[in-house]
Amino acid sequence: MRMLALLHKELADERQNLSLFVPSLIVAVVAILLPVFVAIIVPYATGERLSDSSDFEIAIELYRSQPGTRALDPEAAIQAYLFQFFAVMLVLIPVTSSMSLAAYSVVGEKQARTLEPLLVTPITTFELLGAKVLGAFMPSIVLTAVSYIVYVLVTVIFARTGVAGILLGARSIATVFVLGPLAALAALQMAVCVSSRVNDARTAQQIGVLVILPIPGLLVGQLFGALTLSVPVIAMIALGLLVINAGLMWLAIALFDRETILTRWK
Amino acid sequence: MPALSAQHLTRRFGNRLAVDGLSFEFKAGEIFGLLGPNGAGKTTTLRMLAGLIAPTSGSVQIDGETMTPDAAPRLRARIGFLTEAPGLWDNLTVRENLSIYARLYGLADPDEAVTNALTLFEIADRSQDRTARLSKGLKQRVALARAIVHQPPIVLLDEPTSGLDPESARDVRELIVGMREQGRAVLLCTHNLDEVERVADRVAVLRSRLVAVGSPGELRERLFVPRLRIRLSQPAEPFAAILRTSGLGDVSVEGTSLSLSAGKRPTPEIVRTLVEAGAGLEAIGEEERSLEDVYIKLLNAGERAK
Repeated sequence: MRMLALLHKELADERQNLSLFVPSLIVAVVAILLPVFVAIIVPYATGERLSDSSDFEIAIELYRSQPGTRALDPEAAIQAYLFQFFAVMLVLIPVTSSMSLAAYSVVGEKQARTLEPLLVTPITTFELLGAKVLGAFMPSIVLTAVSYIVYVLVTVIFARTGVAGILLGARSIATVFVLGPLAALAALQMAVCVSSRVNDARTAQQIGVLVILPIPGLLVGQLFGALTLSVPVIAMIALGLLVINAGLMWLAIALFDRETILTRWK
Repeated sequence: MPALSAQHLTRRFGNRLAVDGLSFEFKAGEIFGLLGPNGAGKTTTLRMLAGLIAPTSGSVQIDGETMTPDAAPRLRARIGFLTEAPGLWDNLTVRENLSIYARLYGLADPDEAVTNALTLFEIADRSQDRTARLSKGLKQRVALARAIVHQPPIVLLDEPTSGLDPESARDVRELIVGMREQGRAVLLCTHNLDEVERVADRVAVLRSRLVAVGSPGELRERLFVPRLRIRLSQPAEPFAAILRTSGLGDVSVEGTSLSLSAGKRPTPEIVRTLVEAGAGLEAIGEEERSLEDVYIKLLNAGERAK
């Protein structure tokens, strides 16, 4: 009940502060436009098909070898490869979105001098941090879902027939809706931890940015063939993230020292 | 039973002793003033009373129940705390601010509680305004409404009129007096002596440790010998000399006024002496010592005792 009350405040506050979502909107636009640029606009502008380039032979082989994608023509297979490859970028949306909100969570209350009245209420640390985490998590997931829908619509409109269907497969959906939320949860819990320990929102954001680093790592890993985000691999990463999230929640509660926050922060 | 009782409350921050062995109590229907200069430990004391920080030693009891880390969340529900800054969520409306607190306190009917608080503090007409748009005085009013939205029997107020214009400060003082009339135990923490003089039933003077406790009148009596002030229609110096000759040692002059310590001599006898000497008496009364005099004297005495 108390967590819901504070969550209501977080969401109401965010509705009044839509500029908070600008960084994640930029990430969403880039994540959607990048594959369109590489897979659709560049071949159209240069008049050269992607399937004419030997660089994508592996992609064609990969997609031809799978039952679900065997029917795709070479150009569609490369487009499917690229759109699925860049779908990892969509994971960045909830991460950046939730992190920018969460980094401000505790230190922002302190700076606005709203934390002390809040701490006088019977709210527990778990309830307070839970509301902060959910308040950042929920809008970021909505934004991700909307971005994903737009992403699929873009492939329906601009890509070859059958490409959009690939994006509706288990692998893409698991990447965006399992890895994304779990990575976002880890990122924002980390940001809440940092936000509880520093007395400046910018510092919290700067430290929190470190959490994003593994995601480009996934992209690079795929690019060089070191990693293929198959469903079992996604499941393993998700399991790891679950454990990390549980640990981070425990850490966030342990690090939230009411006395230090009230008496040392200026 | 006192509503709130502090026993030997001590708090250290590293090597610094912020509060030293503080003991006092106050009861329902009483406004208890906590006076002290900046850095005297007032806010630290309030935070310990509210269970926000733990004392290094000593204890706080709310309605006889000791504040422990386990009991603190439950006991905090019996306290309304106005922090030095209003601490309102600027992007939310007045009603939303109060409503969230009503729900944080787990009230059965938060909407009704909010409506009651809005009515009591006469801010119902501003309930849909974002608090960022309110004047400082109105923000303080909303913060006070928030402090009692859950109907706490104890209210702790930290500098409630700090930075307010005189009219807003008077409004806030009236609201504080209203809290006493509602039967709440109110602790008013301030360095505004005039405010304490106007509203507090008892006062504690704090300078890390307790310098004195009592009603403003009791503290005056304890510290100052009663003095007579007599205003004459002519220069007072010659009559001061006559009074001194008659055996009154402590007589001072200020233009046409005399200030004297009568001791055991009856006032009519002093008046007769003056009239027989040809003095024209315009006014006579007991000299009023302000709480400021009491406060300065107490702090100076405390300083000398260090």
